[in-house]
Amino acid sequence: MKLKIGNFHVKDIVFGSELSYRDGVLTIDKEKALDFVRQDPHITEAQLHIVKPGDMVRLFPVKEAVEPRIKTNGEPLFPGFSGPVTGAAEGETKALKGCSVLAVGRHWGGFQDGLIDMGGEGAKYTYFSGLINVVLVADTDETFEQKEQQKKNHAVRLAVHKLAEYLAACVKDLTPEDTDEYDFEPVTKRDSGKNGLPSVIYVMQLQSQMEEDGYNDLVYGWDANHMLPTFMNPNEILNGAVVSGSFMPCSSKWSTYDFQNAPVIRRLYEEDGKTLNFLGVVMSNLNVALEQKERSAVFVKELARSLGADAAIVAEEGYGNPDADFVACIAALEDAGVKTVGMTNECTGRDGQSQPLVTLDEKLTAIVSCGNVSELIELPPMPVVLGELESLARDGVSGGWSDDELLGPSVRPDGSIIMENNAMFCGDQVIGWSQKSMIEF
Amino acid sequence: MVKEIERAGLPVVQMCNLLPVAKTTGANRIVPTISIPYPLGDPKTSREEQNKLRYHRVGVALSALTSDIQEQTVFKVDI
Amino acid sequence: MKKAIMYVNQFFGQIGGEDKADFKPVIRAEQVGPVQPMAAQLHGEITHTVICGDNFMGSNTEEALAFIIGELEKLEFDLFIAGPAFQAGRYGVACGSVCRAVSRRFGVPVVTSMHVENPGVEMFKKDMYIMKGGNSAVKMRGNLADMARLCNKLLDGEPLLGAEAERYFARGIRHQAWTEGNSTAADRAVDMLLKRVRGEAFVTELPIPKLDRVPIATAIHDLSKAKVALVTSGGIVPVENPDKIQSASATRWGRYDISSMDRLESGVFKTIHAGYDPAAADADPNVVVPLDALREYEKEGRIGKLDDHFYTTVGTGTTQGEAQRMAREMVECLKKDGVDAVILTST
Repeated sequence: MKLKIGNFHVKDIVFGSELSYRDGVLTIDKEKALDFVRQDPHITEAQLHIVKPGDMVRLFPVKEAVEPRIKTNGEPLFPGFSGPVTGAAEGETKALKGCSVLAVGRHWGGFQDGLIDMGGEGAKYTYFSGLINVVLVADTDETFEQKEQQKKNHAVRLAVHKLAEYLAACVKDLTPEDTDEYDFEPVTKRDSGKNGLPSVIYVMQLQSQMEEDGYNDLVYGWDANHMLPTFMNPNEILNGAVVSGSFMPCSSKWSTYDFQNAPVIRRLYEEDGKTLNFLGVVMSNLNVALEQKERSAVFVKELARSLGADAAIVAEEGYGNPDADFVACIAALEDAGVKTVGMTNECTGRDGQSQPLVTLDEKLTAIVSCGNVSELIELPPMPVVLGELESLARDGVSGGWSDDELLGPSVRPDGSIIMENNAMFCGDQVIGWSQKSMIEF
Repeated sequence: MVKEIERAGLPVVQMCNLLPVAKTTGANRIVPTISIPYPLGDPKTSREEQNKLRYHRVGVALSALTSDIQEQTVFKVDI
Repeated sequence: MKKAIMYVNQFFGQIGGEDKADFKPVIRAEQVGPVQPMAAQLHGEITHTVICGDNFMGSNTEEALAFIIGELEKLEFDLFIAGPAFQAGRYGVACGSVCRAVSRRFGVPVVTSMHVENPGVEMFKKDMYIMKGGNSAVKMRGNLADMARLCNKLLDGEPLLGAEAERYFARGIRHQAWTEGNSTAADRAVDMLLKRVRGEAFVTELPIPKLDRVPIATAIHDLSKAKVALVTSGGIVPVENPDKIQSASATRWGRYDISSMDRLESGVFKTIHAGYDPAAADADPNVVVPLDALREYEKEGRIGKLDDHFYTTVGTGTTQGEAQRMAREMVECLKKDGVDAVILTST
């Protein structure tokens, strides 16, 4: 089961009179692209911008990031979300690398939205500051949730998924500059050399804490809240089967771009057949009731045992009560003799003195830690803001506040900000990008 | 919070769903609830059922306050 | 030039040995014993030496500290140094006690040094920088150099690189930092996994801390005479959220009168907790704060009385420090109102 991703390394993106890709330059006909976005009647206002690493631009509220790609067989890029359900494990996909399409609210933010600074000292906090980004700033007719803290952000999220596919259409028939091949061999059809290596599974705990539809991560369009842990071909994750949701403080979230490029999957593929035998992904979730958490842990453990996994990496897309799912899952795997490494962020508080996870277990012996959600971050004003910065203080954004006895409001009249790391767009990068860790001071 | 209340000598019972969290944070008397967003009444069930469950579990919590315990205890509920 | 003051015991203060351990504290405008070599390395001036006998500090701690703090109030300084205390238990505890008192009163950074087996390490490491020192005075030079290096960073306002890199005992304060060589989490995880399966040594990035326990409070013997209060971390508030309790990382709490109510009505109360789906709690706040059930028990006489107020805040993202402070403030009210027992609901 082979997935080929043909890469086009984008060096620059400009607006012009056509949609084209030539010599590393992606040209976008802005008006036509906006017309495409406006085909959805729920989009009431739309602007398109291009921002590059080092630009002194602040983006807020950022709701999603997607890598522009197209499948050469004409199937939808995000089956079950942007089109009908089709398989995603194999085939050929073409990708515009080094760039992303970002969804930014024109006015309204919420609990789950985040901030990106393209330049200055704030740029080190997000992965997307290092990419060239096509930014869709949009407003929608979803007035029912404008004043709600929790937002589904459906229209604008769908818009950037579709826009990503629309933009990549210009490379559909071009020859890629290089190609990544991900060949996932059926687990019973591997040669003895590979079978003799330590077998590893990657357990992804998707954000799925909302009971109502429309907020959680989707797997082939299916709400991860309604899912039991299941075995997946890693290619499916790299190829659009998983779409990011709209809940959870932003620094803990994984965007759709993160799933498309999942660094742990790619590193495990590199090691596959050399140092380990990559058995695949166990797709799990994060739940709101203890019984559900325990059930998922049992499923993961039994899948691991049945597959014969010697070792596992478990990563959680969240913090707070999801830590209970994370800890329970690792403890269950360790009980079954599966040597496990966990990947998470921590909540040690602004003072760094709180208990790092809400539950702890001595069975967690090998953890990679990617940041402190409540670290205070203060940043100077930016000459350009796309979106509406006031939303950081006004709309119940996790990590922002309208007032604080000691710190004042998150957004100051001069445009400087003070916020918690919580509000950095997909900032803790537990998906695998994170160059941050946690140390004792 | 529960620890600070207990430290002050007030017997306290924690009603929560995430038993591992309560155990980690050091609550001594724990009564389980049914979920995080609705600890004491599942909106998918009838008003009467919710009331019955809530009355029962709060009753268990009251018993917990009168129970002499030697170690961290999770009290059993029937519904 | 920045100023520092240094504390030593009777032995290093050149008063005498064990026979002088009852020596009362003094403060001298000179550099005595190890203070001199420390001063030579410091980006600042050591203006005074405080000397006290270890036994005097041990058995008359309050008096000794009161004298030292009183004398220091007359002086200006930016940093306080004590020791190094090596493995000397009484000296280590003395250094820790003085440093903590100075830090609390003046808010200046305090630095000492002890051997890992000095009981002062466990007692005081959370309150100050304790450099990882040698076990005896043979290590004086190296220990002073280590202390001076950290002191200079503090005096110069240079950011610290963490407990491990700076060689002081971890204080239980964890902050994020960029990894050396900017290695990614994916690489760190896979490398750690490979080490684990090969049986090689690896270092976890999150050592699991030991849990803190409190003694079990005595049970209520006659509940029918007891006053019971409801506390929640589920963020139930009057709809207008009068105390502006934050929906995450809360620093505020509320206390609301329920004396005339038999249940919490939807539309009058709601949840502002951002960490869970609010639909069920908004539709019926009693699922989080079970006022209705407790009123029934009150009518039946199972409990003596339900407190006239319920207490509320938000648990999500709230730091332990803030939760502790808020709980202490609540306890004050609870005790004043004669509450005997508490039911705490959390989400």
